[in-house]
Formats: sequence, structure tokens, C-alpha cells
Amino acid sequence: MKGSVLIIGGSIAGVQAALDLADSGFYVHLVEMTSGIGGAMSQLDKTFPTNDCSACILSPKLVECGRHLNINLLTLSELEEINGEPGNFKVKVRQHPRYVDPTKCISCGECAAKCPKKVDDLFNLDMNKRKAIYLKYPQTVPLKYAIDPQHCIWLNKPGKCGACAKVCPADAINFDDTESIHELEVGAVLMSPGFRPYNPEKLDFTGYGRLKNVVTSMEFERLLSPSGPCTGHMERPSDGKEPTRVAWLQCVGSRDENRSCNSYCSSVCCMYAIKQAVIAKEHAASDLAASIYYMDMRTHGKGFEAYFERAKDQGVQFRRSRVHSITPLAEDNLQVQYADEEGTLQRDEVDLVVLSVGMEMTTKSQELAHLLDVELNENNFIKTDPFNPVATSRPGIFVCGAVSEPKDIPQSVVEASAAALEIEKMLSDSRWQETQEAQFPAERNVFAEAPKIGVFVCSCGINIAGVVDVKDVTEYSAQLPDVVFSQNNLFSCSQDTIDQMAKTIQEQGLNRVVVASCTPRTHESLFQETLRDAGLNKYLFEMANIRDQDSWVHQNDPEAATLKAKDLVRMAVARVRGANALPYNQVAVTKAALVIGGGMAGMTSALALANQGFPVTLVEKADKLGGNANRLFHTWQGIEVRQQLEKTISKVFYHDNIELKLGTTVEKATGSVGKFTTTLSDGAKLEHGTTLMAVGGKPLIPTGDHQYLYGSNKQVKTLLEVDEMLLTDINMGSIKQAVFIHCVGSRIPEQPYCSRVCCTHAIEQAVHLKKLNPEMDIFMLYRDIRTYGQREAVYKEARSLGILFIRYDLDNLPQVNEEDGQLQVLVQDHVLLRQVKFNPDLLVLATAVVAHPETKDLAKVYKCPINQEGFLLEAHMKLRPVDFATDGVYLAGLCHYPKPLEESIAQAQAAASRASLILARDMVPAESITAEVDPRKCVGCGMCTKLCPYNATTLDLDTMVASVETSLCKGCGACVAGCRSDAIILKNIANEHLMAAVDAALMEM
Amino acid sequence: MAMSMANTIDIASLSRQVKGEIETKFPEAHIDFCLTCGLCASGCPATGLEGLDPRKFLRLLALGQDEELRSTKWIYSCTNCMRCAYVCPMNIDVGRLVMLVRGMRSKEERPTNLQKSCDLQKASNSTGIPNSDFVWVVGDVLEEVREEEPEWADLQAPMDKQGAMFYLNQNAKEPTVEPEEMVPLWKILHKVGIDWTYSSEWWDGANYCLFPGDPEDWEYTVRKQAETVDALGCPTYINTE
Amino acid sequence: MYYATLEGLRRFDIPHKFEFVSIITLYAQWIREGRLKVDPAWNIEGLKFTVQDPCKLVRQGIGDPVAEDLRFVIKQVVGEENFIDVWPNKSNNYCCGGGGGALQSGFVDNRRTYGKFKFDQLTTTGADVVITPCHNCHGQVMDICDHFGGTFKTTHLWNWIVKAMV
Repeated sequence: MKGSVLIIGGSIAGVQAALDLADSGFYVHLVEMTSGIGGAMSQLDKTFPTNDCSACILSPKLVECGRHLNINLLTLSELEEINGEPGNFKVKVRQHPRYVDPTKCISCGECAAKCPKKVDDLFNLDMNKRKAIYLKYPQTVPLKYAIDPQHCIWLNKPGKCGACAKVCPADAINFDDTESIHELEVGAVLMSPGFRPYNPEKLDFTGYGRLKNVVTSMEFERLLSPSGPCTGHMERPSDGKEPTRVAWLQCVGSRDENRSCNSYCSSVCCMYAIKQAVIAKEHAASDLAASIYYMDMRTHGKGFEAYFERAKDQGVQFRRSRVHSITPLAEDNLQVQYADEEGTLQRDEVDLVVLSVGMEMTTKSQELAHLLDVELNENNFIKTDPFNPVATSRPGIFVCGAVSEPKDIPQSVVEASAAALEIEKMLSDSRWQETQEAQFPAERNVFAEAPKIGVFVCSCGINIAGVVDVKDVTEYSAQLPDVVFSQNNLFSCSQDTIDQMAKTIQEQGLNRVVVASCTPRTHESLFQETLRDAGLNKYLFEMANIRDQDSWVHQNDPEAATLKAKDLVRMAVARVRGANALPYNQVAVTKAALVIGGGMAGMTSALALANQGFPVTLVEKADKLGGNANRLFHTWQGIEVRQQLEKTISKVFYHDNIELKLGTTVEKATGSVGKFTTTLSDGAKLEHGTTLMAVGGKPLIPTGDHQYLYGSNKQVKTLLEVDEMLLTDINMGSIKQAVFIHCVGSRIPEQPYCSRVCCTHAIEQAVHLKKLNPEMDIFMLYRDIRTYGQREAVYKEARSLGILFIRYDLDNLPQVNEEDGQLQVLVQDHVLLRQVKFNPDLLVLATAVVAHPETKDLAKVYKCPINQEGFLLEAHMKLRPVDFATDGVYLAGLCHYPKPLEESIAQAQAAASRASLILARDMVPAESITAEVDPRKCVGCGMCTKLCPYNATTLDLDTMVASVETSLCKGCGACVAGCRSDAIILKNIANEHLMAAVDAALMEM
Repeated sequence: MAMSMANTIDIASLSRQVKGEIETKFPEAHIDFCLTCGLCASGCPATGLEGLDPRKFLRLLALGQDEELRSTKWIYSCTNCMRCAYVCPMNIDVGRLVMLVRGMRSKEERPTNLQKSCDLQKASNSTGIPNSDFVWVVGDVLEEVREEEPEWADLQAPMDKQGAMFYLNQNAKEPTVEPEEMVPLWKILHKVGIDWTYSSEWWDGANYCLFPGDPEDWEYTVRKQAETVDALGCPTYINTE
Repeated sequence: MYYATLEGLRRFDIPHKFEFVSIITLYAQWIREGRLKVDPAWNIEGLKFTVQDPCKLVRQGIGDPVAEDLRFVIKQVVGEENFIDVWPNKSNNYCCGGGGGALQSGFVDNRRTYGKFKFDQLTTTGADVVITPCHNCHGQVMDICDHFGGTFKTTHLWNWIVKAMV
């Protein structure tokens, strides 16, 4: 069995899976069709719902991928052939020539500057030109130029041009480059080729392709992006004017069986349109009027509904109508004509129309699926199984990301980790067999050296340089005390700059480094690793955040921003001057996991870890396994849950590596990643290296305005109660009329989020009832139908069976009364605006999914945060969807946010994958910035022992002096703040460091 | 928003007969598929006329508002242009549904002239002139041109020419009210030099029987045309509009 | 009416030996083949033309190809620079408002309210002449032009072809 994996497609999903696999002991060949990885995410400007700069959060991952010892990046490559069987595939990969030697190219750009051949820039969707020799985009990995053989003059007429070869200072141009075939042996294959945005050219009524100021949403991302065709200044294509009125048209190429033949929902367009509207308003010099024309607003993810509400508060107009035609007006403006909710025609004049285009499978991906012999589903996406959402129809071939269904970035990242997990499970015997260990040069001891500080000032494209005078800051830095070197870089995090930085450190003999760029949250570890590559201890480093805290917030005052940048650099220099080399602490890993929660998510995680040979303790507070799944009848595909659930339960029950503790809860815990000690309610003390929280959620009990006679009338049920009736074979076929009310307890001020699952669940249930008795009249009272992705098919099926949907809003709730025991429901029809009266014999409430109140207490035990709504809060909503900021603790399932079974399962697999990263190692890095007691100052008051949340401080009762157990210390600083005699310091964050920075801040310039 | 009870639609007493009848005659009607997205209404010039639009029309069907469906004049303001069907994400052909609803009215309940145009065409042509008049008018106008415009002295307007390569229909409006409007086309055909003919029967290309809502009438007139052209043995039938 | 025969033959499965074509398709074909020679030189005053796409011929009949043919013929006949297109156009064009029997049905106010879309669209082009290759469109466009006080002329295509024939 091979210990290496082939990943096809350098999308964010492919990149995440590569990192997960490579970090947990597998060698990865990452095949990318274009000249650089990053996929569609690299083209986005900002990402919802956090408004993070997309390239900024993506870039560190790409760089990590590019530098990873155990990832072999094969760009300009395609799979050619596959043979063999799971565990032992033989594959051929064809790599097209780059015509630029990547080992020589220094990405200086001289070649592109001199190249006479202008070509449409595909990365910017042909909205501007690049050269025939090009860099895919500024942060691309590998950061190496490539020649476009279709357009290069020399390659088409040898001897005719060759300008690039003449100017290349590194002699990197190789016109004789040829394609190569890589014959590889891999244990598994993972498909992650991403998607293609729908091309609306054939939708004549949108005017796309004929009206210049009608653009796709992807084009608009590029128009907003600092690295886009108008360097982020938002100009409309026809005349470069900044638009002040912009319209977004939803469902272009989605939910349309007629012209686009894409009947599914693309899941992400509602959110990205809102995001674009909000960002466009921020970008605009004057007040920008943004209006979004939609059918159902689908903000079904974590934080989405709040984002939607915020957008409304910020003045984004939401118009519920699909627009028929865009008409040109004078001065290149456009008319949007639509029927409002009353049925009256309205006309809006706008400057720019953005078509919110959906996601499609590419032709290349279909060919790939064919080559790999994996099945497609009815929408031409890769077919998967709800109970193993990353497996394809062919064993050994896995899938993640948008190629199996339109989905957002977090879900793609979850699937990437889930797919990594499935591969780890399959190949666990070959772990570490084909990998190499990272080797750093011996560290230079700089203790006795006088400070020699280097300052690197980043332009971040125009993110910083557009506001801050970076040249001025660079020159200023050079004059600061002990600074011996300063330099400005376009993108400090790009591969070539990083390499150059390491070289500079060595050549200049630097012993302290400051990078003035963005946030340490995403980039600190990258730069620290660069120091290690250069033989410096990584703690001899400081970052000055002159972007998030400066250029972004002082856009309108460049002069003051430049002054502030100087202040920030001066402070960082002052701090780094006193920085000491710190030890790289490590903790021996206890190779066992604790999984809390015995629902589908918890069981999936437990099995995934147990199957890799790690002992698992599974703790469940109830006296049986299964959680909410016990009450579920069908998945949305109509597959019975019970059978799968029972299978899973029995696997858990009989697994040798799983110790099951029912009727048990967690009491308290100490320790941290690699070495936790948890005390359970039965008194047991567990030692474990990682913790997975999968404690689930529960249905809301309807109350108040949203009670609808629940509890007082027996004909009023919740979705789960009806599921239970179906599970117990209670005859439902005799019901004559059923009414469902959606959003009961969701999307209301008291409970503002969308519960994600209820629309699909309710509709699937209604379909089932209708099939039991086709004579049954069924009515769904809804606010927005949110059958995202391929779930749209269930909505269609329901309508095709004659189930009627009536929309209500919060100002006009359905009225439910009882007359002589007979239910009466009144609601206003949203089309005819007339009242409709029902007398159902079944009223089903699609109630919200809420977090267990106890989740909060458990979160405290492991120092994890929860959000306002009581759900656990992951480390990063976009790129770390199953991690916590606290290392070694992971989450999955409903305790994170309401989600359907297949997503819970994927998330559970992902959490297990992340946990495997720890469990697969003997040692894991521990905190270096730890607390230290100065015994001469300690008065033995013991305050620190009370304050330490990690139980890392102890008071020696003989000497009455406190001490810190370094392996337990997380460097939180609670003891330092609480020590009344100033006896405790944090290494490198002692008073002297902080005061140096404060003094520098207050220094007269 | 206050709801008035006066207009309340009581689900218990719905007949939904009109919908049922449509679905029997046209199983692909897909009325229930409607997403109520408004795309149709957004692009329809009849939106708002008689308080209706394509979306509301579908909703009347779905909610069984039969009386209103049978009485609304809106079905004659919808021009069957199919701009709605052109974009409807669910491929619902509202125009065709409108036709079916038109057809549910008795002939007496339909707009008089609409039904009359079809009845006339079923007899011969939509303006009701005798076929002999058509033949005479064509001959008369031709003669006039030949005489008055020497350069067109050999202009042709063949009638019932067996085996001609092209058959030409003729909207009845011209021979009836503006016969000189036939001439330009004759001249063009002459210039191109094709071998063509009119027919003295079933020559009208107006086809009004598509509109009152009786498919059998429409079928009858088209069948008559087809038989006529095949009887003449013309391999190509040119529609003049 | 093109669609009525085309769809009638199809829907009722009426047996026939002939090929059913539109005169517009033939005009374009004949001009391309050089069998019908036209020259826009007559249009020395630079009369501006626009067009109505009959729903039954274009959207419901042949689709964009015949709309392209129609424009090709007009441009050949009146001069490329003298043609101003409407928007929306071709398969997505508005109905004149007289289709579907509306011109015969008698609900004049509704028909004209509907026709206002067409009138505004045609007026926006600023063209002197509107070419309507369908009798129904012809009648309705004349009526709305008259009713709403338009200044454009409504004509068939053939008159202009004859004018341009050489």
C-alpha cells in the first residue's frame, strides 16, 4: 500500500486536503491545470461573512503548500491515465512545458515588461490584458512566470521575437522546454478541481455580452479587487466611471430549467451578492445605491442571516423579483424592469448590472470524471453518498469542494479535511512511509551580538501602498536605531520575496527582523519560518500591522496613515530589539482521543479515529447513542436514516478501540494539546491528546407569537414529531389536509439565525406524506425557501406533486385558531394578496434548531468560545471551520450550527482529520512564549495558582515560591497581570518590551 | 397588513376545475411548478391590465379561482407573445394556458370579431371575400401594372400553377382593402426569377383560428392549407409574413 | 402567420410533402446569392429605419437566425448606417400588442396600454420608418403611432426592397 496521494485541482479544497495529508504523514502530488494554485478563491476580493480579504487569508496556505516538503506541486498538468486499485494506483500525469525554468526564475517581471504580445488576461476574465509571458496573479504559487504557447511569438515563429530571453537576468527562459510525463504510484486519488462560473452569454435577455455594463459576479469581484483590472477602484467597463447605482440579479444560471438547464441552486450567490453590495458601498466615494433582485434570499449559513440584516440596515435594497430584461439607456446606463410584490411594473435606472452567476461543472472535470470512471449525478456533478459525502462511486477515489455540488468555502474546506481523513483511514498503515522531515539549519546564537535589525515594508499590492507612502516608510525605517537594512516589497508573502528575505537575513547578518505588512493572525508563522530557514530563532521577529490597522482604516487620510505606519514600525523595532531567542517547546502526545457527544457526528469522528488505530473514549450524556438522528425519518434524498444509524451504532458499540461511556458527562479538564486530562461525571480521569466536541443541538419548543397552538391542540406537531410518527408506522395517510409553517422560531429578532435544515426537512416530509396519500392537500407557509444546492430538487418535486407554497412575512404571520376542536389557519397569499383559509387536520411546525444550554459550560471547560446564539465558535469561519483557536480541540455537528446529516458527517470526518494531525505525531509543538517566575520577587501569595486556567502554576509550600510548568503554560498572561509583586513575566512580552514600544510610540518624531 | 375576509379563499370549497381541464388537455402545463419568481410578470406588457399578469394568472389557476378565470378580459390582453415562456425557469407556457382558458368560453362569450375572423377563415379566408374575387383582383392588379409600368410588362402572378417550385400564401387584407400592396412582392419574385404560384383556395395566410381557443378549428385551416399545397405539388411553401 | 402553420403542422401531425419557409429567409438567401440585387443608393436623404420582430416568426418561429436575416435584408436595402435597432430585440423583442387576436378582440384601451411599450421602444430609436414584416404588427404599430402621436411611418419590407432593386 502506497503512502502517497494524488490530488487533482489546486482549489482551496485541494490545497487544504494537501496540507492535511502532508502534515499527517502522507506524500502528496498536487496536480493543477493552470500555472498556479489557488482556484476561484484567489479571484475573489473579499469573503463573506467576515469580509476578510480573500487572497490575504488564502495566500499563507498557498505559500505553505508551495514550501511543503511533502507536497509535490505539478502545475500546467493533467491526469492522463490511471490503472490499479485502491491503495496501489499507477497514474500518468502530463505536465505541459512552462518555457520558464522555475528553479531560475526570480519573478522580477522584466520579461513581461518587454514582451510585445498582449493577451486577454483570463485571471481577470479577459477584462484587461496581460502579456504572453505572465504571472497568473501576484500571489500565485509557485511565483514563477510561464509562457502562453498559444500567443508567444517565438514559439509560433521561432527566431521572431525572444525579447524575454534577452532581458531575463536569470537566464530562465527556455523555448526548448518540452512536456513531461510523470509516472506516479499513489494509494488514493482526490478530485478537487472546483467549478466554473456560469457563462450568461446565451441569456440574451440579460444583455450580457452586448451591454458593456452588464458584468458577471466573478467579473465584479475582479473589478473590486486591488489586483484586478482597475486596481480596486471599481470602474464600470463602458467608460471607467465609478458606478453609483448597482443592481444584482440573482439566480442567473441557477434554479432555471429553461435557458441555462441548471435546475439546482448554487448556494453561494445570495451571500456573495450581499457581500458585493456591502463592499461596493464601502468602496464608493459617494453614497452607492445597491439593489438586489431575488426570488428567495438564501442566507442559510452561520452568520449569514445577521449579515443580511446588517446589509438592510446599511441601505442595501432587496427587491423580490426576478428581472426579465435589461435595457440600455442614455449615457451607457441601464434600466432594470421588474414586477414588484404587488404585481406592479417598476423600472430602476442603474449604472451597472451584476449577474449573480451560478456554479457549473467544467467540461474538463467531466472528462476527468470519465477518465477516473466515477459516476456523475443528474446535475453533472460528481455523485456522492450522504452517509459518506467525500466518497465517489469508485473505491479509492475521493472528492471535495464544489465539484460534487455547489458550496461555499467553509464547506469545501470541511470536505477537504473529511476527504483527507478517509484517505488517512485507508492508507494508515503507510503513514510516514514516503514523507520527509523538515530540516532547518542550525540556529545562530545571537545572544552576545549587538542588535542588527532588518525591516521589510510590504506594499500588499495597493492594499497598503495605495494609501501609505511605503517608500517613505522604508527610508524612515533605515534611520531607526540598530536598523541596518530596510526594503520595500510588493507582496512580502510571495514565494520569491520570502526566499529573498531568508537570503537577505544571512547576507546582512541580521539578528532581528520586523515585517511591516498585515496581520500576524494569518502571516506570522510564515515569516517566522523564514527566520528559521535563515538560521535565526523565530522569536527574534515582530510584525507591524500597517494594513488592517492603518491603510484600511485611514483610506481617506494618506498622510496621517503614513505617519502612523512609521509609528507602528518604530514601535515594532523597539520591541524586537529586546527580543530573545526562545526554546521550541514540545509536548509528548497522548495518543488517545476524547469524543464528547454520541450523535451521528460524534460517532463518525470516533469511528474515524478508532479505525486509524487511535484509542477513543466516546462520552454521551444520554443512555443511548444516536442523538437527534434517532428521531429522523429520511435524508433529503429520501434515504431512511434508521438503517444507517443502526449500522453506525453497532460499529461504535463493537469497536475494539472505542470505549463507550453512556449517561456520562464531562466535569472538568486540564492540560492542552497533546496532553489533556479530563474528569468525567463517573469520576473517571482520562488522559487524551485531542478533544472533539460534537454535543449536538435540539429543536426549539415553540412559544409566544410562534406557538401556533402547539401543546394545546393535538393536531399541531413539530417536524421531528411527525418523523417519529412515520418511524413508528402511525398511519398518516388518512390526513386530508396538512399545513406546514416554516421558520418557527428562526429568523426572528429573539432568534435571528436561519436553522438551515428546516426548509428541506419540511418539504421532504411533505413530499413523503403526499406520496402516502396523493389526495392529501398540502400547503407550505414559508418566508424564503432555502433548499440550497441540489436540495432544490426536493422543492421542485413537492411543487410537481401539487404541494402549494404560500409566502408570509413577519408583519403578516399566519393566524392559527381553533373552533370546536377544528384548526383554522389564515394567511395572505403572496401573489393574489388575498386571504386564504385552511382547516387542516395536521399543522406541522418547522421549528428552529437551537444549541443546548450546557454547550456553554463545556466550552468553558476547554476554553473555547461560543457565539451569541450559543453555538460553538470555530477558529475561523472560512478556513478553519472545525478547529478552535485552542489547539487540539475540534468541533462537529449541530453544536457548531444547524446542518443536515451529510454535512454533520463531513464535518465529523474533518474534525477527526484535524485531530489525526496531532495523534499521528509523537511530539507536538507547545507554547514558547510562556510565563516565568522571578523567585527573588515572588512573595508566595499563591494568586497565580488561582488565576491560571491551565493549572500550570504551583506554589512550593516549603519555599513559598511559585513556579510555572512550561509544558502546561499557554502564555495567556493571566498570572502576569494578577501578580501583585511583578514577579511573573511572559517571555518576550515583559514590561521592558512593552515599555520600549510605548516609549517609541510617544517619542517625538 | 389587515386582511379582509370578503375576498377570502376558502381552500375547503375550491373546485380547481379550470386547472383540471387544462391539465387534462395539456399534461405538460406544469402550473404547479411555478416558483412565483415574477420573471414572467417583469417582462410582460400586459402586467397590470385587468389587475392581472402572467404570475397572477397562474396563481388564479393554482388557487382555483375559476369564476374569475372564466370572466377576466385579461386573457384577451395577453397576446400569446410567449415572452414569459421564453424565460420562465420552469418552462411554463402561460400563453398556451391562456389559449386553453379562452377555449373554455362558449363561442358566444368570446369577442365577436375574434371568433368571426376564424369562422370566416374556416369557410375560406379571414375577410370573407369570395375566392373568385381574389382571383379576379390578382388578375386585375397584374394587368394594371403591366399596362402602366412598361418595364414590368411581363410580370407574373400565377394562380393554381401545378408543379410550381414555390407556393405563396397571401394575407387576405391585401386583396380585400389594399390590393396594390401585393405588387412589390410579385416584382421581387419576378426579379429573382422563381417559379411560383398562388392558390385560388385556402390562400389566406392569416391563420386567425389559432386565437379563439378551439384547436380543432386551427387544425382544420392548417390541414386545408397543407392539402392545397400538396395538391399543387409545390415543394416549398413560402409564408409571406 | 408563420407560427400558426408551423406549429399546426407539428402539433396535429399533419402530413405534408412541402418544406415550410419564411419569405424573410428567402430574401436574405437571394441577396446573399446575388439573385436579388439591391443597392441602398436611393436613400440619399438617409431615412432611418428600425424594425419590429414578429413574435410568431421570430421568438415562436425560427428564432434569432430569421431576426438576423431580417436585419441583413434591411441593412442591404436602406444602408447599414441607416438602421437603428430596438432594444430588446430579436427573440426577446416585445410583442406589438396586437398579437394573439388582440387586434381583433376589441379591448382597445388595454391593447393600446400594452402597445405603449412598443411605441416607446420604437420612438426611442428616433427612426423615421418602422418595418413590420407581419400584417398584425403592421396594423397595431400604425394604430399606436397614430394614437400616441408618433411621427414614424409603418411599412412592409417589400416596398423598400423594390425601391432598392437594381
